[in-house]
Amino acid sequence: MTEELRVSVERRPPGAILYTKGYINNVGGEEIANRAYELMDDGVQTLLLNLKETKIVNSIGISILIEIIEKMMEKGGRIAFCCLTPVIHKTFQIMGLANYATIYESEEAAVGDLGLQR
Amino acid sequence: MAPEVHRFAGFLTELQQLDRSAIPAQAPRILEAFTRHTSFEIAALYLREGREGPMRLTASSPHCTAPDVLDRTGDVPLDPPPHLVLPLRSHREDLGLLALRRRGAEEPTEDEVALVRAAAEYLGTLIANQRLIQEMREGEFQLKYRLWELESLYEIGLSIASTLNIDDVADEILFRMISLTNARRAALFLRNGDRFVLFRSFGTVRAEFLDQEIASELDREGQPISFHERLDCIFPACSAFVTVPIRGNNAMIGVLAAADRESRDGTIGQFEANELRLLGLFANQAAIALENARLHKEALEKQAMERDLELAATIQKEILPKSIPQVAGIELAALSRPARQVGGDYHAVVERDGVLTLVVADVAGKSMPAALLVSAVHAALQLLMAEGRELGDIATEMNRHLHRWSAENKFVTMIMASIDAESDTIEYVNAGHNPGYMVVGGRLETLKAHGLPIGILGQSRYMSQKRPFLPGSLVLLYSDGITEAENLAGEEFEDHRLEALLRLDGSGSAQELRDRIAAAVEEFVGEAPQKDDQTVLIARRV
Repeated sequence: MTEELRVSVERRPPGAILYTKGYINNVGGEEIANRAYELMDDGVQTLLLNLKETKIVNSIGISILIEIIEKMMEKGGRIAFCCLTPVIHKTFQIMGLANYATIYESEEAAVGDLGLQR
Repeated sequence: MAPEVHRFAGFLTELQQLDRSAIPAQAPRILEAFTRHTSFEIAALYLREGREGPMRLTASSPHCTAPDVLDRTGDVPLDPPPHLVLPLRSHREDLGLLALRRRGAEEPTEDEVALVRAAAEYLGTLIANQRLIQEMREGEFQLKYRLWELESLYEIGLSIASTLNIDDVADEILFRMISLTNARRAALFLRNGDRFVLFRSFGTVRAEFLDQEIASELDREGQPISFHERLDCIFPACSAFVTVPIRGNNAMIGVLAAADRESRDGTIGQFEANELRLLGLFANQAAIALENARLHKEALEKQAMERDLELAATIQKEILPKSIPQVAGIELAALSRPARQVGGDYHAVVERDGVLTLVVADVAGKSMPAALLVSAVHAALQLLMAEGRELGDIATEMNRHLHRWSAENKFVTMIMASIDAESDTIEYVNAGHNPGYMVVGGRLETLKAHGLPIGILGQSRYMSQKRPFLPGSLVLLYSDGITEAENLAGEEFEDHRLEALLRLDGSGSAQELRDRIAAAVEEFVGEAPQKDDQTVLIARRV
């Protein structure tokens, strides 16, 4: 396994899904933030982060995710996560991310609830 | 409301609206507010880095040349020079500076100075509030982070102790360590004999084995150590790395290593003391988990070996004859005692066209490989005998077959003896097996080996030998499990005890002789465990 994170984006009107693969650390977090901010600048107000292929996140990655959530909240939009490993799910709860972003078990559940195109 | 008051209120409102985000990011908007609501058109904003850091240029108007960092004198060498330099303060703390230049060369009026001074004081308060909010947020984050660390240690104890698969345990340990230390690379080495072998890694790792000097140092110190030298020995091109010993009950069973601790600003730094302490605690939990997984793996291997033995025993049992054929004019008796750990004894009794053939064989090895070879010998023997081949030919064919298809160190010792009552003869082949015995006319004779064990040399050819075998004669074939049976003193039963029984009871019935041999071996061995299969085949012409 490598330390690099890869992010891919899928537009699902009226929002988008970001798929991450790898370690969410400083570099990985910045990569997610860049893609998220580009989408926000394009007017996307609903972002779903699918973390199925991510097994590790560190404190810096978490702080960047918090920044993304705050920025989206300032713009009146919302961010959600899905497909978290149990360890990452617990981490998000402890670090307070779960207070500001909804966490879904599956992408299907998230897409349905957020009203994203299937 | 006077226009000046109205203008000032609008100015403050605009400044107030800035407070949602961090001030440095809002610096251009601050400058714009100052230049739009006052008669000043050129401005530069400096903010102090942290509480005691230098004043850094955060924003400046176009056509204004300003240094990036101010020196301690407080001079603001702006080009063009400012008309006014206003400190941004809160409770005597210098938070920054605002340098302003009016349109044209004319000095600002007292009212204009009073307006921007009041606005600067207000801005100072805003900056101080922002900083407090930021510090509170960071404090809250740190508090949650510490909680996460504690929770992680607790969770590690629970989850890795309940995971018994060593691969899963290793992944869990590595991932948790990386998360907790903000490392970019990590490795887990586990002891294998005298060395520590790389078992799991994350990111680029150079070493397959842990540097022996590092291992010795960790074993001696018994606690985490940061390294700033020999940096390439685990992680290529790293600036610092940390290693943590994982101690089992008696010795160091593994080593965790992590490198490239990252910071929010993107720099890579060294691991801090509290992180080393945390890693020490973490390694204690990891040691328990790894020990559990190792014990579990050993238990599984033992179970698998026992299943293997059971299966091998079943194969042997199915192959060996379940009853002895009744042949007119010949008394037959057999003894087959398999050892607990399945050996490779094989015996068969085949009657064809009035000729009775006895076979005793012993394949090299134990357990499943031996059982499979016995199975191959059984199949080849039955096929060749069904074709009516003579004994020498059977042994030669079987040798060729096993030499070609069996593993290098697999061979079989075998003795075959065919009794032909019509011609009063016995024909035999002994391929590297213990000598068989004959009692003919009260005289003890041996059927010695006259060839290599089967499967050793592909070109071996075996020739049978023929001897008279009159009514009253007896033949006995056996495996070395009889003559090499050991008692508690480590003595073997040996050939001479077997020969003595044959001399004494050679003229009795086959069944009586078998029972006496069985009893004599049992009595000799006493409480000692049976190490090898024991086989005896006896035939007497009546």
